[in-house]
Amino acid sequence: MKTKLATITRNKKGQPASTEQTVVAETLRIGRGADCKLHLSDPRIALFHAEVICGVDGVSYIEARGGVVSVDGSFESAATLKTGQRILVGPFELIVLPPQTDVDLALSVELIDPLKDDLEEVKSHVKAGLKSTWLSKRTFSWLAGAAVFLVFLAWPVLNALERGHGKDTTKPVLAADASWDVGPLASAHASFGSNCSSCHQQPFVHVTNGACEDCHKKIGWHFALDTKEAKAVHTGVFGDTRCSSCHRDHKGANGLVRTDSRLCTDCHQNLKSRHPQTGVVDVAEFTKDHPPFKVSMLVPGKTGAAALVRIAQDDKTRYVEASGLKFPHDVHMSAKGLRGPNGKAQMECKNCHVPDETSTRFKPVTMGEHCQSCHSLEFEPKATTRQVPHGKVADVMATLQEYYAQAALTDAAIDVVLEDGIKRPGQRVGETKREAALSWANSKAEKITQELFEIRVCFECHQIKRGEANAEPAMRWLIAPIAVTQHWLPKARFPHSRHDTYKCGSCHDVAGSKKSADIAIPDIKNCRECHGGNVTSKDKAPGTCETCHGFHTGSPKSGVPPILPGSNQPKLMPKTAAAISYQTAHASLATQNGTGGAPQ
Amino acid sequence: MRHRTILEYRDYRYLKLAVLIVVAVIFAYGWYAYPLGHYGGTPLGYTLGTIGALLIFWLMWLGVQKRRYRTTGDVKGWLSAHIYLGTSLLVIATLHAAFQVGWNVHTLAYVLMIIVIASGFYGVYTYLRFPGLMTENLAEDTLESLTLKIADIDREARRLALGMSDEVNQAVLASIQKTRIGGGVYAQLREQVSSCPTTSAVKLIKSRSGTVKGDAARKHQDLYGMMLRKERLVRRARIDIRYKAIMDIWLFFHVPLSVALLAALVAHIVAVFFYW
Repeated sequence: MKTKLATITRNKKGQPASTEQTVVAETLRIGRGADCKLHLSDPRIALFHAEVICGVDGVSYIEARGGVVSVDGSFESAATLKTGQRILVGPFELIVLPPQTDVDLALSVELIDPLKDDLEEVKSHVKAGLKSTWLSKRTFSWLAGAAVFLVFLAWPVLNALERGHGKDTTKPVLAADASWDVGPLASAHASFGSNCSSCHQQPFVHVTNGACEDCHKKIGWHFALDTKEAKAVHTGVFGDTRCSSCHRDHKGANGLVRTDSRLCTDCHQNLKSRHPQTGVVDVAEFTKDHPPFKVSMLVPGKTGAAALVRIAQDDKTRYVEASGLKFPHDVHMSAKGLRGPNGKAQMECKNCHVPDETSTRFKPVTMGEHCQSCHSLEFEPKATTRQVPHGKVADVMATLQEYYAQAALTDAAIDVVLEDGIKRPGQRVGETKREAALSWANSKAEKITQELFEIRVCFECHQIKRGEANAEPAMRWLIAPIAVTQHWLPKARFPHSRHDTYKCGSCHDVAGSKKSADIAIPDIKNCRECHGGNVTSKDKAPGTCETCHGFHTGSPKSGVPPILPGSNQPKLMPKTAAAISYQTAHASLATQNGTGGAPQ
Repeated sequence: MRHRTILEYRDYRYLKLAVLIVVAVIFAYGWYAYPLGHYGGTPLGYTLGTIGALLIFWLMWLGVQKRRYRTTGDVKGWLSAHIYLGTSLLVIATLHAAFQVGWNVHTLAYVLMIIVIASGFYGVYTYLRFPGLMTENLAEDTLESLTLKIADIDREARRLALGMSDEVNQAVLASIQKTRIGGGVYAQLREQVSSCPTTSAVKLIKSRSGTVKGDAARKHQDLYGMMLRKERLVRRARIDIRYKAIMDIWLFFHVPLSVALLAALVAHIVAVFFYW
């Protein structure tokens, strides 16, 4: 077949130029192979890509060989060639030209999809640098910064402002400011939960003392503000101190209360130099310079009014108890035992010293509860059911007079000699005989009263002097005022319950105490045997200031009086107590001890 | 004179400064005995917090400076100070927080700071390690010159392959048109590319070497040599891109997390004083 090939090239402006050649061959082989008449030198063309064949009827057609042929947009394995038809062979476009006289077929050939420049091709496949990817520092920065800002700053602030910051005290459903919480609240404050404004009442303002005092209304001062000087010192030392300077919350369940010794020693180790007028001794360390304990002892006053007096344990002349009672501990604690109402008994400490509700100290020892079962107030051996009242002298006398008068007038089998036979049953007693009986009864009562106050029963426990013989009944025997100290060391706390693994006697030396003047309060050496000082020790229990002492020990705002020496102490005895009775004295004591819940 | 790294800048000037700061801070922490124990709200805690916050602001300022292309002093000095003083933050902030952590914005700021510093350490490591490797890999070339060389080979190989079997020709064409160098984040960070068209072409040409004879065999051998050269060039280009990516990738954490840290730091400070 004879084929005319018009190869079209275009200049930069796209204007075509045609180069014609005529090829004569049996068939028109198309490919990049050297044997192909239509030689298309392009790597996208197969060696023998396609073949154009002229049929016997003069109609030409194209057949795909090693490559792909597309005719009018669709891939064909073979297609008849018609004038104007567009055939794509790889990147080349072949167009069937109108029939020409001297050839079987005329085709135009044009490279319509030339290869890219090799460098351009390579460059288009090189993608270097992370900036060319989706990574973007700017975008990430905006996102991360904005997210943190919105969630952890803007939202909580708006939430707090919206809630009126302190005005709305209900618990928020969703606390945006929970992320601001620096740590768990103290257990006592746990109920505030996420309601920050309970304490943080104003933005950017320290938690005020007022916020604390909203609840803690009764907290005590550090010392009693009962004098102008005390108030001045208090203002000078603590005037602008915030509660939270010591009490920092958000430090865990037990973190709210300071227990370090510096709380005390920062001032107390140089207190004299700071406040020369102070009566408090400088102290820095329990094991070294802590002074001997001072007991707060009730001492009967010369005028009759008892007072709490602070006496150091090393002040041997004053360190003597004057309770007004006779109580030898050794007799009561004797290993041989005592004769009790139900036979012989061995007494123990707990028979009289009963722990109070807090198991910290002990309930007051009372005649009725602890003594009377043995120390009965019976006065007449034949009448074991009758006892004199534990009260005033006059009441005792009246009881005895009534008893013996009745005895004289009835058939009571009493151990007396009735000279004139007045106990004849069924007979009226005449005036004379009644007078005789009364006289006998009074005389008998007088005698027994004297016996009780001077020989037995009352005299057994009380210190009693004989008064004027002709005085009023109440003044005929002077009973020493009772001053039983209930809290010996009220400025310290000593929870007995925490020490109950020890025997009482290992601290309280009462086994050899023969006198009630002996004081069995352990001294500081006794405590130091087990308790170390401010520095944690391997072989000692802690002995920091806070182990025994508190800070808010001064007069509390509640008005409850403290047990402290000074002018504001409660008066323990009535002023005219020259012959104060047991009951009166104990009534006063009860008043004092009843308020013994004052700070330690 | 031996090349001095940013770490050795001016005889370790900023290392000395950082050590001085750290020692002073540790000494202060050990010496200072606040009655309520150590925490961010003690006078020492506030002091350390202030120092730490100012350092963070200053260190971030370096980034802004670099962006502005305005050098205050010499960039090496800034970077050396950035590294050492940034590291000293680990001690300052840890002692400021007094080892206390919680699920809150305060610890968030601390943790972000730790991550930023850790990513910075990685950055220092890359700055010290990869420039040498890059030089070793590129020798006197650049990525640009590698690209030119590859294009040259492509041109020649394409021409040579025209006279070869369709199979070989196709493989060479695929190598030219489909060999990717670099690409997405993952592709840039990898050196090996599975099913690389160039590697496939090399293998194919090698396997077909027995099928041709005479002059064609010589041309076949030439083509094989070309494609091998191209394969090595492509690998070197990929390694270069990988090193650059490794040297850059940490900044995509370091910078945004620094900004997040800044936001958390501001939130931390506002939170502390809002609920003072």
